[in-house]
Amino acid sequence: MISAIKMHLQGIKTGLAVRMAYRADFIISAFIMLISEFFGPLLTYLIYNNEASLPGWSMYEVLLIQGVFLLSKGISFPFFFGIVWNTLDRVQNGTFDLLLIKPRSVLQMVIVTGFDSEDLGKLIGGLALTGIALYRLPRPGLSEWVAFIGLFVISLVVMFGFALILAGLGIVWIGNYRVYEIFSSIANFGMYPASIFSKSLQTVITSVIPVAMLGFIPASALLGKPYENTLYAVIISFMFLFASLLFWNTTLKKYTSSGG
Amino acid sequence: MIVHKNKPKNIIYRQIDILKATVLATYKEWAAYRSHMAISIFVGPVTFLVQVFIWNAVYSTGNTVSGLTLNQIITYYGVVTIINYLTYDSADWNLQMLIQTGKFITFMLRPVSHCYYAFCQKLGHRLLALWVEFIPVYLLFLLVFKINLVPADLFWALISITLGFILMFLMNYCIGITGFWLTKTEGLRRAFILLRDLCAGVLVPLTLFPGFMQKILFFLPFQFITYVPTRVFIGSYELAGISLPIPYVVGMQAGAVIVMFLVYKLLWFLGIKRFTGVGA
Repeated sequence: MISAIKMHLQGIKTGLAVRMAYRADFIISAFIMLISEFFGPLLTYLIYNNEASLPGWSMYEVLLIQGVFLLSKGISFPFFFGIVWNTLDRVQNGTFDLLLIKPRSVLQMVIVTGFDSEDLGKLIGGLALTGIALYRLPRPGLSEWVAFIGLFVISLVVMFGFALILAGLGIVWIGNYRVYEIFSSIANFGMYPASIFSKSLQTVITSVIPVAMLGFIPASALLGKPYENTLYAVIISFMFLFASLLFWNTTLKKYTSSGG
Repeated sequence: MIVHKNKPKNIIYRQIDILKATVLATYKEWAAYRSHMAISIFVGPVTFLVQVFIWNAVYSTGNTVSGLTLNQIITYYGVVTIINYLTYDSADWNLQMLIQTGKFITFMLRPVSHCYYAFCQKLGHRLLALWVEFIPVYLLFLLVFKINLVPADLFWALISITLGFILMFLMNYCIGITGFWLTKTEGLRRAFILLRDLCAGVLVPLTLFPGFMQKILFFLPFQFITYVPTRVFIGSYELAGISLPIPYVVGMQAGAVIVMFLVYKLLWFLGIKRFTGVGA
């Protein structure tokens, strides 16, 4: 365990060192990563600024959902979601083979070497947006915080599941970086209150592909109005992780190389 | 054969030959990755579906937002999506990669302008996108979402989309040229794409922005990439409280293209002097 943590720290250190070769570009990129995530909140602001609203939700409640969503991305994207581009890049260039011969699990290696420092901008953005929204909302109680933390960890589990699926796709669908767009389009459903979607779609985003867990469900718990099917969504989230691992392992077995 | 080689007619024929060859080569090259492009058939409608639900919820509490009805705003997003498939561009990335890797040196030896070559590449790329992205998503929007995707005036819509296509290319190409100074322009590219999409009306109709912002956006060239073609497609133009006839707006768009072309010429003149490449 300690050696695994050391390895991850070394991966972070190396990732940062490599990116610092172009410092100015790194700073601009990290800042842009932060700003680009504010498209959703900007839309929310413009809706409410035009004297409209999402029924049953105040602007800061919606912003909290989006802040939590961004926070979840802010942790997952730098620290483990990099397995997606790392796998895509290595499979395309033929350097994925090098990870297969290391004396560690391929998944661990692909996470360690996939640290994405630029995405730390998302983390800062998530913290800022969540902080601003919470400042404008009634203070949550201890029980709300406990429920939120538990559900937030599960949101990271779902993120990891998505990362595994996209990285698995990267093994069989060579060089297709547009898999990120698939994730973004689906994940959009987690950035808004589930009540705005139809009943059938609510079932899909909680019980089939649990994207509601990425932002809406943890934020609802923090707001003190937990979603009725939360427990069900938690169970589905773990099943989603299990299915993702299965998918990753299946695609990994299908990996073929021409030697790089 | 050699006698007429410098006549203007022959120069035009030569440029047409280059155009045909580059368009065909790019088309074939990208056709190998058509499944990558076909992701749009999933991503476009799913992203659009989210917008449909958001705006349906918003309009359930009122009839208009910023003077737009639900039908108008849904149509706006539908038209923006399909126009973006036609005008999408990656000239900035391509050029900065050529500069960064030094491969640009090979273009300095070729008897063809790189800008023209890159434009032909874009034509080939978008020609493929026409049937892989545009037509399937168009039909989905038309038949599944029941959106009115028939332009108010086909003639002006085609001219406006063509001008948007050229303007998008020129702007991106200028960003690519900054690679002569910065070498790695990833950050700048992202910043520009963000600013462009925001100010071009890709995220929301520009009329939803506060009044003072609309006045600024009116004087920026970005609206001519997406917002203007979309409004021309729909058949009415309004921004910052200013309503203009369609031919007038398209004329302004043509003016923006000419200005952008001059900016490109200037940047190229200054930037090309800075390029150094070894071997490549």
